[in-house]
Amino acid sequence: MRMILAATAILALLPFGLPPYAMTLLTEALILGLFAMSLDLMAGYARLISFGHAAAYGFGAYACGNFLLHTSMPVPVAVLLAGVLGGIVAIGVGWICTQATGVSFSMLTLAYGQLLYAVAFKWTSVTGASDGLAGIPRNPGPFGVTWWSSKSGFYYLTLACLVGAFVFSQALVRSPFGAVLRGIRENEAKTLALGFNTRRYKIAIVAISYGLAGVAGALYAPFAGFANTELLFWLLSGQVLIMVIVGGTGTLIGPILGAAFFLYVQQKLSTYTDSWALFFGVIFIVFVLFLPEGIWGFVQQRFKRRVA
Amino acid sequence: MALLELDGLTKRYGGIVAVDRVTMRVEAGEVRAVIGPNGAGKTSLFHLITGVVKATEGQVRFAGEDVSSLPAHARCQLGMSRTFQITSLFPEMSARDNTRLAAQARDARRWLPLGGRAVFDGAAKRGDAALERLGLTHIAERPAGLLSHGDQRLLEVAMALAQQPRLLLLDEPTQGLSVEETAQAMEVLSTLFAAGDLTVLLVEHDMEVVFRLAQKITVLHRGATIADGDPDAVRADANVQSAYLGGLDEC
Repeated sequence: MRMILAATAILALLPFGLPPYAMTLLTEALILGLFAMSLDLMAGYARLISFGHAAAYGFGAYACGNFLLHTSMPVPVAVLLAGVLGGIVAIGVGWICTQATGVSFSMLTLAYGQLLYAVAFKWTSVTGASDGLAGIPRNPGPFGVTWWSSKSGFYYLTLACLVGAFVFSQALVRSPFGAVLRGIRENEAKTLALGFNTRRYKIAIVAISYGLAGVAGALYAPFAGFANTELLFWLLSGQVLIMVIVGGTGTLIGPILGAAFFLYVQQKLSTYTDSWALFFGVIFIVFVLFLPEGIWGFVQQRFKRRVA
Repeated sequence: MALLELDGLTKRYGGIVAVDRVTMRVEAGEVRAVIGPNGAGKTSLFHLITGVVKATEGQVRFAGEDVSSLPAHARCQLGMSRTFQITSLFPEMSARDNTRLAAQARDARRWLPLGGRAVFDGAAKRGDAALERLGLTHIAERPAGLLSHGDQRLLEVAMALAQQPRLLLLDEPTQGLSVEETAQAMEVLSTLFAAGDLTVLLVEHDMEVVFRLAQKITVLHRGATIADGDPDAVRADANVQSAYLGGLDEC
C-alpha cells in the first residue's frame, strides 16, 4: 500500500518537471500499462491467455469515441461507460470462449478480435470504416469543468484510472475470488472437483479483464483524438501479450512496467530504424530465455535475496 | 435411510459395459470399500457417483435426493468430497493453502471478489484442523509439489476432509506408494476412520489395505457386483476367490 502511494505521488509530480513531448509519451505509457495489466488479470492469474485482447481495447476506443462525438457526455463518464459496456459484452464473449480451454480458448479470443476488426471496416456509420473516427473531442463536464482537456489534466485523468484499476485488481486477486483463480491456473480439474463452478469464475474474470481493457481503449480515443481499425488488429493483441510477459506475468505491476518499457524502446529504436520490431523481437527472446519472470519478477527476486 | 444409494447404475461406452447394473447402499457412519481386479469398473463407478461422467441408466441418490443429473461441482456442494487415483493438488501452493482453498469451496461466500478476510480465516481454521488430523501440520508451509508422494496422498485426503464432507470418497488412497509408505498411510487412515465421525467409500485393489480399513466390502467384477458384505463373509465367498484367481475370466 505504501508503495502504491509512493509510486502515485512520483507519477503525480512528474508533469512539473517533464517537457510536453515526454508528457504525451508518459500518458500513452499509462494507457498501455492499464491495457497490459487488464490482460495480466486473466493471463497471469487464471492462465486464460487472450490472443485477441485488442478487441476489448478497440471496442472501448470506438464506444468512447462515439459517445464523445455524438453526445455531450463528459470524458470521465464516457470512459467509464465504455468500459462497463465492454465488460458486459465480454460476458457473452467469455461464455463462448470458455467452451474451450488452452490454445483453443486463445484461438477463440483471436477470432472475436478479428471479427470486430472485420466489422469495423464495414460498419461505416459507427466506425468510419478505414478512415476511423477522427476529431474525437475532450468534452467538458457540467459547470464548466474542463481540467481533463489540457495535456497535464488528461494525464491526471489517466493516472487516476490506472491507480483505481490497480487498487481494484489487487484487491480482486487477494480475495477469495482471486484464490479460486489461482486454483484454476494450477489445476482446473481439481478446482472443479472441490465444488467450484470454474466456468463462472472464468467468464467473470474475462468480463472484468475486457472491461478494464475497454477503459484503457476508451482513454486512448480522446487522448489521440482518433480511433481506427489498428486498435482492433491482432498485432496490438500480440504486442500487449509481449508487454505482459516482458514485465512479469501474474504481478499486476510488471505489465505496467512492461508497457512503459515497450513504448520507450519502440520510441528509441524507431528513430534509428524502421525495422524496430525486429530488434524488439530479439529483446523479447532474451527475456523469455533468461528472464522468464519478467522485469518485476526479477526485481522481486533480487529484493527477496537481499532481505534473506 | 442410507446416505448413498445406487440403483441399477449402468455405464456403457458403445458396446463395452464398464459398469453393469450396480446396486449398492452406503449407510451413514460406515466405511465401505469397493474392490475388484484391474478393469473391474471401480474407477468408472466412482466417476458415476461423483458426476464426472453421467450414467447411461440407473440412479444415484444422495441423502434421499436423486442427484443423477447434477454436475460434479453441484454434487460436491451437497457434501461429497473425493480424492483422485492420480494425485491432484495445487503444486505451487503450500499444503496449508491447498486445504484452505478446499475448505473455501464450502463457504457460501467463496466467490467474494473483494475483502473476504472472514472467509479466509474460517477456511484456514478448517484446513488446519484437517492437516492436524492427518499428521501433516509440520509440512503445512511447504509447497505441495515438493512433498513426498506419501504426504501428497495424505494431503489430498486432508483437502477432502477440510470440506467437512458427509461422504468421503477415496480413489485408491495408497496407489503408487512404497511398502513403508503404504503402512504409514494405513496407520493414519485407520486412526482417522476409528473416530467414527466419517462416512467413507473407498476404491482399492490392495486387499491388505481393504481388509484393514473397511467394515463393509462390495466386490466388482467386469462391472457387476459379485459379492457384498462384511470382510469375513467376502473373504470366504467362492465367487470372489475365483474372480481373483481368474476363474471367472475363463468363461
